Amino acid sequence: MIQVSELHFVTEDGIKVLEDVHLHVEQGELVYLLGPASSGKSLFLGLLGAHVPPQRGQILVHGRNVVRLSSPKRLELRRRIGFLPQGFVPMARTVHENVLFKLRTLGNYREQAEEKAILALEATGLIRQQGVSATELSNLDRIRLGLALAICDAPWLLLVDEPLEGLDASEAAEVCAAIDRVHTGHLTVVVATRGPLPSLTREHRTVSLLDGRVSDE
Amino acid sequence: MSAVPFLFRELLGTIRARSAVAFLLTWLFLFVFLACVSAFFLLVPTHVEPEGGVESLPIVEIRAYLSPRLSSVTIDELYLDIRERSDVSSIQFRFAQEVRPQATGGVFLIRPMAPERAEDLGAILETINGVTEIEEVRAEPDQTESPLSGAIRIVLLVVLVAAIVLAFLFARRGYRELLRSFAGEIRTMRLSGVPERVIVPLIVGLGALIGMLAGTLLLVVLFLLHYTLAAPQAAATATWAAGLASVGRVLGVSFGNIFLGLVLGGLIGLLGVGILGQREFEALP
Repeated sequence: MIQVSELHFVTEDGIKVLEDVHLHVEQGELVYLLGPASSGKSLFLGLLGAHVPPQRGQILVHGRNVVRLSSPKRLELRRRIGFLPQGFVPMARTVHENVLFKLRTLGNYREQAEEKAILALEATGLIRQQGVSATELSNLDRIRLGLALAICDAPWLLLVDEPLEGLDASEAAEVCAAIDRVHTGHLTVVVATRGPLPSLTREHRTVSLLDGRVSDE
Repeated sequence: MSAVPFLFRELLGTIRARSAVAFLLTWLFLFVFLACVSAFFLLVPTHVEPEGGVESLPIVEIRAYLSPRLSSVTIDELYLDIRERSDVSSIQFRFAQEVRPQATGGVFLIRPMAPERAEDLGAILETINGVTEIEEVRAEPDQTESPLSGAIRIVLLVVLVAAIVLAFLFARRGYRELLRSFAGEIRTMRLSGVPERVIVPLIVGLGALIGMLAGTLLLVVLFLLHYTLAAPQAAATATWAAGLASVGRVLGVSFGNIFLGLVLGGLIGLLGVGILGQREFEALP
């Protein structure tokens, strides 16, 4: 569950990017955050993902107040959040090794990591390309790999930043379908995008971020 | 499960030709630096055996050990008697334990007026009632001239400074290349909430490993020199490299080198940690 209230963010140049933002996302909900370029979507996800320290306001992620978290607790929370950043560049390894690396880094034993990697690659439809070098992947598969990396260690929350960038309509639909597939159980998903969204099959909610404020569409 | 051993293997696996050459040169220059430091400890002057042996050296001090049963008054009287002698230059009283840990009672440290008459003085002192033992201390034998002349010392210092500067420069280049190839992994770690206390030791550890290997190579070289050169020709070597002829000294210097290598390598690793602060390694672009 995510609860954001009275969130403000001003850049060093004094530009108000977020202004009195309120948002409530239920556990297990899939939310598309729509907004034009430079509207603060990435910043908002950075704040939710405990990567950017908040200036004013409250952010509760699964009962943890991001504003008041100590540095070790913030890192602990980051481990429970899957994050696919905008312009994601995979590591120069095979698809399988990319996922395996992240899992081993997070302290999983080899066998355990192998098992989780296979599940993540299956969920994102990359299992056949597991031996392919990640640098040779198409844009669509690169996003799928980013999703696999984000979900491989069973996160509570999945944050996806601009996954449709540079994709045509059919590829965008495939990415949304992949997001639908990984959105299982209690996983909360927030996807920030400029849109337009392809016709989505699964139940979801769309909110927009405009002039620093979030509103339901 | 700690991810550090896995990550360290991954980091080493990322080393490619360019970074490998830079780290190899770092290792080499650290070796040169440590070798120069060792030279100051191993190429040392030695004592020259006098022609007539140690016994021919002049006696500079006579130690007269006193019975622990002597009263303080008797000791005072003895002190005054000896001090008044014309063949005594000076006399001091010490507790015997100060000179010889297992001894008891007191001891007079007597400097003879003339070294050539010291043996006679010792014989006389030995007859005094209450004196249990006489020990003669002879002058130190002359030392050979140091094999490290002033010019050689300056050259060694210059090489030493140049080697450490070059080691740091090549290490910086090596780290830049290596971390560029490892940037994706670092970004992934940071994005996944891996703390810096896991990432930083990898980088410092690599530097420390290079330093330790430089020290270890020198250990091998020094022991080879000791067993092939210094030990079989101990007398000849002792005149220019007395330290190298002593296995204890070689061992001490070698372990000192490994420790110094570790410290310098760790410092070199901090150069890499500095590079980690650049924007390309941040979790979010």
